[in-house]
Amino acid sequence: MSPPQGEMNQCVVLRQKNDIVLENRPIPQLAHGEVLINVKATGICGSDIHYWLHGGIGDFQLKAPMVLGHESAGIVAEVGPGVKNLKVGDRVALEPGVACRMCEQCKTGRYNLCPEMSFAATPPIDGTLCNYYKHAADFCFKLPDHVSLEEAALIEPLSVGIHSARRANIKSGDRVFIFGAGPVGLLCAAAAKAAGAGHVTIADLVPSRLEFAKNYCTDSQILLQRSQSGEPNMEFSRRMAKEILKTEELADAVIDCTGAETCVQMSVLLSKNGGSVVLVGMGGSVQSLPISEISSREVDIKGIFRYCNTYATGVKMLASGSIDVKPLITHTYQLQDAVEAFKHVKEGRDGAIKVQIVA
Amino acid sequence: MSAQQYQIPDENTKNYGVLLNKKDDLQVVEIPMPTPAAGEVQVQVKATGICGSDIHLWKYGEIGIFPVTQPQLLGHESAGIVTALGEGVTTLRVGDRVAIEAGIPCSKCAQCMAGRYHLCPVVVFKSTPPYDGLLAKYCTHPARWLHKIPDNVSFEQGALLEPLSVAISAIERSGATFGRSLLITGAGPIGLIVLAVAKATGISPVVITDVQPSRLQYAKEMGADYIYQVDPKKPDYEAAKEIRDLVGGEGTEYTLECTGIESSFRTAIMATRDAGVCCLVGVGKNDQSLPVNNFAMREVDIKGLFRYHHTYPRAIALMASGKLNIDHLITHKYDIMDALKAFNTAADYSTGAIKVQITN
Repeated sequence: MSPPQGEMNQCVVLRQKNDIVLENRPIPQLAHGEVLINVKATGICGSDIHYWLHGGIGDFQLKAPMVLGHESAGIVAEVGPGVKNLKVGDRVALEPGVACRMCEQCKTGRYNLCPEMSFAATPPIDGTLCNYYKHAADFCFKLPDHVSLEEAALIEPLSVGIHSARRANIKSGDRVFIFGAGPVGLLCAAAAKAAGAGHVTIADLVPSRLEFAKNYCTDSQILLQRSQSGEPNMEFSRRMAKEILKTEELADAVIDCTGAETCVQMSVLLSKNGGSVVLVGMGGSVQSLPISEISSREVDIKGIFRYCNTYATGVKMLASGSIDVKPLITHTYQLQDAVEAFKHVKEGRDGAIKVQIVA
Repeated sequence: MSAQQYQIPDENTKNYGVLLNKKDDLQVVEIPMPTPAAGEVQVQVKATGICGSDIHLWKYGEIGIFPVTQPQLLGHESAGIVTALGEGVTTLRVGDRVAIEAGIPCSKCAQCMAGRYHLCPVVVFKSTPPYDGLLAKYCTHPARWLHKIPDNVSFEQGALLEPLSVAISAIERSGATFGRSLLITGAGPIGLIVLAVAKATGISPVVITDVQPSRLQYAKEMGADYIYQVDPKKPDYEAAKEIRDLVGGEGTEYTLECTGIESSFRTAIMATRDAGVCCLVGVGKNDQSLPVNNFAMREVDIKGLFRYHHTYPRAIALMASGKLNIDHLITHKYDIMDALKAFNTAADYSTGAIKVQITN
């Protein structure tokens, strides 16, 4: 099959901090085992915004212009040599991180920790916000006809939810508490419910987010307050946790999607003896934790780094209807209006939850 | 007195206990002879090990989240002989040699019913304030929480079953198994018993750290594959890198932090491999600053440990098998009437004490 002739490959490129442009780039050539995807839908993530505004995240710093985006789905436009699982016309979700498949982490199934990971839109790897993106065929997942490409693009943040629910060992009937009612927190709630959680509580600083969450996979909602100036975080956290426990019970699993030190501390305090805290949000690199509680009540603390072995599960969940992600797609932009889309996400206008760019 | 001899108390027999009146005020005093209630037995306590927590209670008047609120006996690492039976006890007889499991859970709550009795919210753990410990000539204890020890396990070894339980529990909680690498931070009695169990169960290679060269040398003689001397002036991330380099650069798959010291915990976390487990065994400051991004983004799981559960049968089997050689960790023994000397020895590093036991 020859590559699409004369077609434009419009890409959303971050040239440097605060500088996003649309560029026309060549359509990539396929190597063994790769497919060419005509990208149809891409969600914008907080990390895309962070790269845009700060030029880097932690150790990952932008050194050259890079295409943004990693939450995508599309249609197979061309199939490279050796590809057996896909054909032209197949509709697929893209798992953006391609691992080496050979190191010990990969072989033991924890490929998200592969030292040679190539992850779309993590420098220096170009992202998926373009018309044509080449990708390893074994990291593309075929969709049934009744699952839309827009929903499939949400399998990426949903994967964070699935991985978190697994790391938290959520079982049927469990009580789950989630800090942060943004898209990640909501998808953690959805994954928890799909895993059989009996009660999901979600907490946030913003009332409108909790309003939305009332009708999305949560059973109770808690409005958080900011700590008052001068009050040490640990004291605030102990006080707030006591307050929360007036109307809530200790949880089997607490998932923090904020990264805020107080929320991480409260996560431990709100956990049952023998419970699990999963840290999804990325915050300060050094935080003070209530060690006496962690020890004397055996509360496990586990972080996550992206996800692994979640895409096939995500496709099945969308196909069966055990999760409905459509309510989270609140705004849609065309590719040529990408900069507007990014501004929208940055400003969080009009109750934006997931803003997508479609082609 | 031979190991099998015991003295059934009569109305003239005096009982003595090692009483902590309050912080820094420890005395051997005469205490009432206890009578076993229904379901309990009376035990002549023959050997009791002194734990770092006993020392801490003595010197600081508190441990972790438990402050000393009233005078109490210390000690929880004991073994002895049954001298009287309470009503309804059919599982033990007078003369039975037993190890005492110091924690008495309710056996009815959700945690207990799920088998996690160490997390019972109303557990009575003897010697944790406000409950009396086992450092007495005679005590009473529920028969259900006593474990018979075979004749080839001495009372001194029976008293070691408690810290051995901590070591077994720690290794199990971390998930470390044969063929996998382990870092032990801290070569005190717990760290050294963990080392012994690790070697006996095929965990390898084992790295152990400490600030004291003499303890590291001791650990080397016990079979540690690598020893590392901690320099308190060196930043924790530097120490972590040097430790990682000992095992090829990536760090160990499992880490057991056995000091409770914040900088050691931070080093331990950073020296653990991606996807590994770092389990905190030591008890230290209630709140500590940890490198959260480091462990979260490398999916290094942090697990705390609280005592042990279901370990005594295994500990007894391991001890009786002869595969474990930890008797040499008992460096000093004192009669109970000289308990204060025992405590002073245990609290003084310069004595080279590892495990000090009090015998009766």
